[in-house]
Amino acid sequence: MLGWEFPPFFAGGVGMVCYELTKAFSKRNDIEVTYVMPYGPKDLHSEHVRLIAADNIIPNSKIRIKKISSMLNAYMSPEEYMQQLRQLEIKQLSVKEGESTIGKDNTFKLYGANLLQEVYRFAEKVKLLAMEEEFDIIHAHDWTTFPAAIALKELTGKPLVVHIHITEFNKSGGAGVNQQIYDIERMGMHKADAVIAISNLIKNICIEKYGVNPEKIFVIHNANIEMNEGLEHHSDIKKFNKIVLFAGRVTLQKGPDYFVEAAKKVCDYRDDVKFIMAGSGDMLNRMIDRVAQLGISDKFIFHGFYTREDAEKFFSMADVFVMPSVSEPFGVVPLEAMMKHTPTIVSKQSGVSEVLNHTLKVDFWDTDEMANKIIALLNYNPLHAELMNNGYKEAKSLTWDVPAQKCIELYYRLMPLTIKVNQHITIGGIRQ
Amino acid sequence: MNVCFYFQVHQPYRMARYRIFDVGHNSNYFDEHKNREILTKVAKKCYLPANKLMLELINKYKNKDRQFKISYSITGTALEQFKKYSPETLHSFQKLASTGNVEFLSETYYHSLSYLYSKQEFKEQVKMHNDLIKELFNQEPKVFRNTELIFNNELANMIQNMGYKAILAEGADHVLEWRSPNYVYTAKTAEKIKLLLKNYKLSDDIAFRFGQKTWKEYPLTAEKFAHWIHNNHGHSVNLFMDYETFGEHQWEDTGIFKFLSHLPDQLFKNPHTNFLTPSELADFEPVGELDIHNFMSWADIERDLSAWKGNSMQNSALNELYLLEKNVKEINDKKLLEDWRKLTTSDHFYYMCTKYFNDGDVHKYFNPYDTPYESYINFMNIMNDIILRIKIMMQDKNMMYELKRKHQITDKPELIINN
Repeated sequence: MLGWEFPPFFAGGVGMVCYELTKAFSKRNDIEVTYVMPYGPKDLHSEHVRLIAADNIIPNSKIRIKKISSMLNAYMSPEEYMQQLRQLEIKQLSVKEGESTIGKDNTFKLYGANLLQEVYRFAEKVKLLAMEEEFDIIHAHDWTTFPAAIALKELTGKPLVVHIHITEFNKSGGAGVNQQIYDIERMGMHKADAVIAISNLIKNICIEKYGVNPEKIFVIHNANIEMNEGLEHHSDIKKFNKIVLFAGRVTLQKGPDYFVEAAKKVCDYRDDVKFIMAGSGDMLNRMIDRVAQLGISDKFIFHGFYTREDAEKFFSMADVFVMPSVSEPFGVVPLEAMMKHTPTIVSKQSGVSEVLNHTLKVDFWDTDEMANKIIALLNYNPLHAELMNNGYKEAKSLTWDVPAQKCIELYYRLMPLTIKVNQHITIGGIRQ
Repeated sequence: MNVCFYFQVHQPYRMARYRIFDVGHNSNYFDEHKNREILTKVAKKCYLPANKLMLELINKYKNKDRQFKISYSITGTALEQFKKYSPETLHSFQKLASTGNVEFLSETYYHSLSYLYSKQEFKEQVKMHNDLIKELFNQEPKVFRNTELIFNNELANMIQNMGYKAILAEGADHVLEWRSPNYVYTAKTAEKIKLLLKNYKLSDDIAFRFGQKTWKEYPLTAEKFAHWIHNNHGHSVNLFMDYETFGEHQWEDTGIFKFLSHLPDQLFKNPHTNFLTPSELADFEPVGELDIHNFMSWADIERDLSAWKGNSMQNSALNELYLLEKNVKEINDKKLLEDWRKLTTSDHFYYMCTKYFNDGDVHKYFNPYDTPYESYINFMNIMNDIILRIKIMMQDKNMMYELKRKHQITDKPELIINN
């Protein structure tokens, strides 16, 4: 698995959310956070939270190991567990995380093939940790931490909040849902005292696919990501071309195929447009073929993997950023583009479209409308200028203080009245 | 204390969804289905029941010393749509006209901002509207109201020269300062024409606050409101508002119709209270002169032009539209001119307003588009088709195909044609 740590070890995703949220918490004096994560390189340093890498906790007794087997039995047999693990293709999982920007320099280790086993080993270690730590609320991010979180809740009786960033149903467009993961997700949601959904889109999935009581689901939208306020990037292609950007994994979920179809329609109206497809994924080759088939290869630049630095360059170069996702639990990338003064087009099937006013929204399948809006942005300067300025202001205003405040209000709701001072929250942060 | 009721009746031609790909392929800019649907809905909820009530009230006091009187300004685009989609609404207005207690005011046929961009077009649209009022209601308007009460000294002067005896304007605080809107004034540089000012506090009590349960005066009864009117001083309290207040903005279940039906009785409890039409009110001697150099309007809290000219999309779209006037009129094609004029309707620019877009307020309520950006895109796509039509009509018809093929989508249509 990739990217379970705080930045700079990866870009985007749940880790970023955990980072931003804890950072926003750290500004307040009514909350203390113990941040637990499954694996931490030794050189990890982050000043604003106490970081305890679960891997560094050495099990000091056999009793604990025993507890592992009993824990596992509570959900499924170890045999069944190992058997199903083999079916879980690591390749498939790693491709899903393909866009992350892990450089060679970062000491980054994969958990390897035994993902689920690791999840439970993690749970055990978290239990050990719980003996040394004091806390009032357990806040867990995504399914990989749920077994640990549930174990903690059962051990301590503290209220549990699970934070849903993505579900199995978003990953593969609903096809090929992994039963084991689904079960863990479902259990986490049902055992939790409250479920935080990062969008209404996720909330509806929790209700419809996981049978969660809507009354305990709270929608807390994500917020922006800090960007370098650099100058606009100058590049030779910019002199003669307009640039339309797609940035994200080139997978079914992200809708790169709709981007290509819309691009073809734009090319009928302008000769000077370059389309950059940044990112990698299992649909990349198909996209390259399709672009050739449409006869617009000379209009396309396929960039493949990109780093955080590349991303900032792309955002500031682009005249239009398009996020045509088929299903996007939130989708923070448009906010990054907006903060780089680039007008955006986002699919209505994204969580971020629920919070944005100053963007153009389209149904992902409506490539006519997508092309219509791309052409409008390229040809109508006042539109481009208004969306650039208003979009920038809007993205800037979506700070993490707002979701952080909402989380804290939720904690207060869940806590017994007597201990509402000096909360101490355990947040398990794992990226799926 | 007298009362002067004036109701604005307006329905725009809402644009159809018009994409870049429609440019050069079809010139159906307006959404017939949606316009019919909205008009028949509003007719049912507002125009028909409100007109029925107004007629009843007029008849109730017909042979009394003090009568019930009202005034309307109905835009050309609304009247056209009544003819097409709801003839019974038009008929009910004609019935009101025949009572003699209803005055019809003058405005631009297309409810446009033409005064700000083309005096020539402005005069033509006012004349078109006057002709239609004469034809349908057999009245020659003596009082003018500009779109959304947009007003300044210069406009007053022009309207005076066009022969009107009075003009309506917003009783904005920043203009009145210590003065009361309840008196008749004149405007600087327009000494003869009378200024009739909206009492926005009392007007908005009905138009905006009537159904608001959080308002401290809720529920507003006719008795209470009449009491407030009686406590005012001056020539007349001028209650100017959208006619759609009755039944559409304030739904029937708020009690708005009952309120109105009881109001005359309550007002007549004071022996000095009469209903006046704007023309009658204009017979009062003005108490002073107002100097209104900057444009004001009745829109938003700013009471200025920012609802239509507040951002670069609005300004650009308006400029480009009026730059085409010369070409459109030279070509002298009836359908082209009519399409172009329908685009001058101020609502199209109001939809592009980004001012309060974050708050989901009144602008959003009246906007048929998801966002101001979408309405601008739609408008500009239509403009690009208009240029194409102009180009084709200006040039050899055989070049049509060539022109369509080479057509460039632009935000500066006029430059394409005249360069």
